[in-house]
Amino acid sequence: MNFESVRQILAEQAKKAGLCDYEIYFTESSQLSTETLKDEISSFSGGSGAGVSFRCIVDGHVGVAATELFTKEELESLVTRAMDNAAVIENDDLAVIYGGSESYGKTDMPEFTMPESSELKALALSLQASTYSESELVTDGTQSGVFAEVNHFELANSKGLRLSNTVSLGGAFVQAVVNREGEAEEAFDFSLGYGEADKLPKKAVEKAQAKLGATEIPSGKYKIIIDGRQMRSLLSAFSSVFSGKNALLGLSLLKGKEGEKIAADCVTLIDDPMMKGSFVQTPFDGEGVAAYRKSVIENGTLNTLLYDLATAAKAGVATTGNGQRGSYAQQVSISPFTFYIEGGALSDKQLLEKMGGGILVTELKGLHAGANAVTGDFSIESAGFLVKDGRISGAIKGFTVAGNFFDLLKNIQAVSDNVKFGLPSGFTVFGSPDVLLPEMSVAGK
Amino acid sequence: MIEQKILEEVLACAMSTGGDFAEIYAENTRNNSLMLVDGKIDRVVDNTYSGVGVRVFLGQRTVYATTTDLTRAGLLKCAKSAADVLGELKTNISVRLTPTAVPNMHPVLLDPTTTDIKRRIDILKTASFAAKDYSEKIAQVQGTLMGVDHAILVANTEGLLKEDRHVRTRLIVNSVASENGENQSGSCSPGRGMGLEMFDMFDPREVGTHASKQALVNLSAGYCPAGQMTVAIENGFGGVIFHEACGHSLEATQVGVGMSEMCGKLNQVIANEKVTAIDDGTIVGAWGSVNIDDEGNPTQRNVLIENGVLKSYMIDRLGSRRMGMPMTGNSRRQGYSYEPTSRMTNTFIDNGPDKNEDIIASIEYGLYAKEMGGGSVNPLTGAFNFAVREGYIVRNGKICEPVRGASLIGTGSQILKDIDMVGQNLERGQGMCGSASGNVPTDVGQPLIRVGKITVGGR
Repeated sequence: MNFESVRQILAEQAKKAGLCDYEIYFTESSQLSTETLKDEISSFSGGSGAGVSFRCIVDGHVGVAATELFTKEELESLVTRAMDNAAVIENDDLAVIYGGSESYGKTDMPEFTMPESSELKALALSLQASTYSESELVTDGTQSGVFAEVNHFELANSKGLRLSNTVSLGGAFVQAVVNREGEAEEAFDFSLGYGEADKLPKKAVEKAQAKLGATEIPSGKYKIIIDGRQMRSLLSAFSSVFSGKNALLGLSLLKGKEGEKIAADCVTLIDDPMMKGSFVQTPFDGEGVAAYRKSVIENGTLNTLLYDLATAAKAGVATTGNGQRGSYAQQVSISPFTFYIEGGALSDKQLLEKMGGGILVTELKGLHAGANAVTGDFSIESAGFLVKDGRISGAIKGFTVAGNFFDLLKNIQAVSDNVKFGLPSGFTVFGSPDVLLPEMSVAGK
Repeated sequence: MIEQKILEEVLACAMSTGGDFAEIYAENTRNNSLMLVDGKIDRVVDNTYSGVGVRVFLGQRTVYATTTDLTRAGLLKCAKSAADVLGELKTNISVRLTPTAVPNMHPVLLDPTTTDIKRRIDILKTASFAAKDYSEKIAQVQGTLMGVDHAILVANTEGLLKEDRHVRTRLIVNSVASENGENQSGSCSPGRGMGLEMFDMFDPREVGTHASKQALVNLSAGYCPAGQMTVAIENGFGGVIFHEACGHSLEATQVGVGMSEMCGKLNQVIANEKVTAIDDGTIVGAWGSVNIDDEGNPTQRNVLIENGVLKSYMIDRLGSRRMGMPMTGNSRRQGYSYEPTSRMTNTFIDNGPDKNEDIIASIEYGLYAKEMGGGSVNPLTGAFNFAVREGYIVRNGKICEPVRGASLIGTGSQILKDIDMVGQNLERGQGMCGSASGNVPTDVGQPLIRVGKITVGGR
């Protein structure tokens, strides 16, 4: 069933139920992916699907119901379910169906056409062959993969607002496993788009080989550089502290800190829904509000938290257009778009030289468990390299780095000029340059 | 869910290019969750997930195609797209399915997605208000009552046709204690493979007070010191240590492709002789139990490690082909959009020979990890980590002051040998395990255990 027929059934049903305020959010997606093992394709998957969510206002409260089952009975029951759900809501949130912003930005995403399955397979096999030929240490378990997806979004509401957006992206990855005399290590690298994919085998194998022979270090205090790929994961683990809703509920220690200095001068944190070069751009958020670029932290000062319509009304500010819905199945919730720490003046290499001696952290693991956004505390399994006289020396593993995210923001001494962006999840992407920190607690042997 | 004749047609279509096995998995899931914050019902999540996944095998290769279009034409298109990827060979086969009833070992009395919403709100509020009223220092409470009714159908070219229904209920309370501009958190989140009758077994109030008590302990705690020490890990969710340190490394997903430190170690001593570990998907009403796995095989009780000796891996169909070993009823997936793979169900270390009081008394200086949070592992190297949610320093055999912000790290093969005392108060705790085939409910468990030496991340 296409969007238009779904919309008509739901609108008809809403009319019958006497509903004045409602919104329909529809997503349609298709994806292809393939993976290799040894010298052949081990799996291939493809899929297409659609889902719709119905959101309505009854007696000043919002109710939502969503489905992937497009039978007439299910769609008709969706309206009743949403109304029943509204009836039990007790919060005093502003309940509003949005009439539309004055203007919306224009996306400028890289061109991408969905590849044929044969192209996908050919690229995966060639990556796999190159990975094996990189080094004699490369061993079975090594995998290469290629993926592609197209997601289409439609929003239509009772105020006459109609918005749509299509996002397509693809990419490749290599997970190289190396084995030297029984010691196995692995490393992963990915590219968005296929243009740079041929560089992945070398990068992944080099990364895996560099980890061989890692030693353990004694517990103590060490100066630390967190690689941008890891710093963006840390930013992701703590991103909920920038939610205006969490602040209002006392779940973020940034409550009431707008306008205050919360980070070092060298820290500027940007949220950009239409970041140049990004594959996942959107001109509007999940409530239909125009999305725009903003500095959340500018030279250390917290400019704004992130808001949707209801939270902004409560806080007495304007929405920042961050009421996101990554798919039909998700309800409006506050989250960033492309969210990244701006680069500084030093190259990655110069940052190492500035530190002199310490640790370069290139892996942080188990952030979902070891980072507590309510307190800001983290204690994280790490791996990386010892740095001596500004140069990388031996690989190290089996240690933890512990600290507090809010202290960390204040303590950043410098950031490199090389911002590393991660894989998108919905419209959210995290990015960071390498960051230099003063001494932190490390637990090792 | 889908007519048998159509299933047979779709399977034949999936096999039309030379596959040697094909399978259809269909899902219809109702998810109905109530969320409370600030003392008020804030959100109802009411989602229907419905779709089909068609999988075709040729040797150790698989093709997987999914769709939400459940019409005959939609399903055939999906099967054809899978078959087309596989090859050029044209084969004509016919499939005859034999419907088999699945005995329900986990009866549900009160469906958590449809039982009167007032009754569900009452349970959620009872728990959340108990958490808030526990102390004036409790600044915020978030509560969720989650209900899932997950109906599945599995049909394959060996003639199998089974339908089953997995119902589960979970109550989650997160408390935040606040004092002098500092926040600390506590949580409690029991779940069962049953309906709302799970609250006949325990009072929702206890869930709330448990979460708040933990937040207050952490508010009074200093930072955990860093370094290697002896650690006693309490029962229940403490079993996450086995789940991360060893369980994932015993899944065919890893073992079948040589990506596990446990490869080739069957019948070898891999753990201290006090360690016996079991994966049991048949425990009545347990969070990780199901009647049949997502390939239609009945779940079973698999002894993984017996007195320190590795006895079994956890194996799905693809893993079985790769490893040349029988399937163990461990094939699981979050839903139709995921190809299934080998996963844990209810996995635990069994009771051992040591008295709990002797375990604490034996520690001169160390950490007592009363409650654990989640963690992760790299099965290739066995390097794992997990968070301590509530911990205390042990001095001269006595549990002393609380400490916060600790994590434990190590490698699986080493820690299994370093578990040197195993107590006698086996309990299980609930978690959502995330891996290649999505998030699935799993129980972890153990009695109180002692790890002779492990790195404690603190500061």
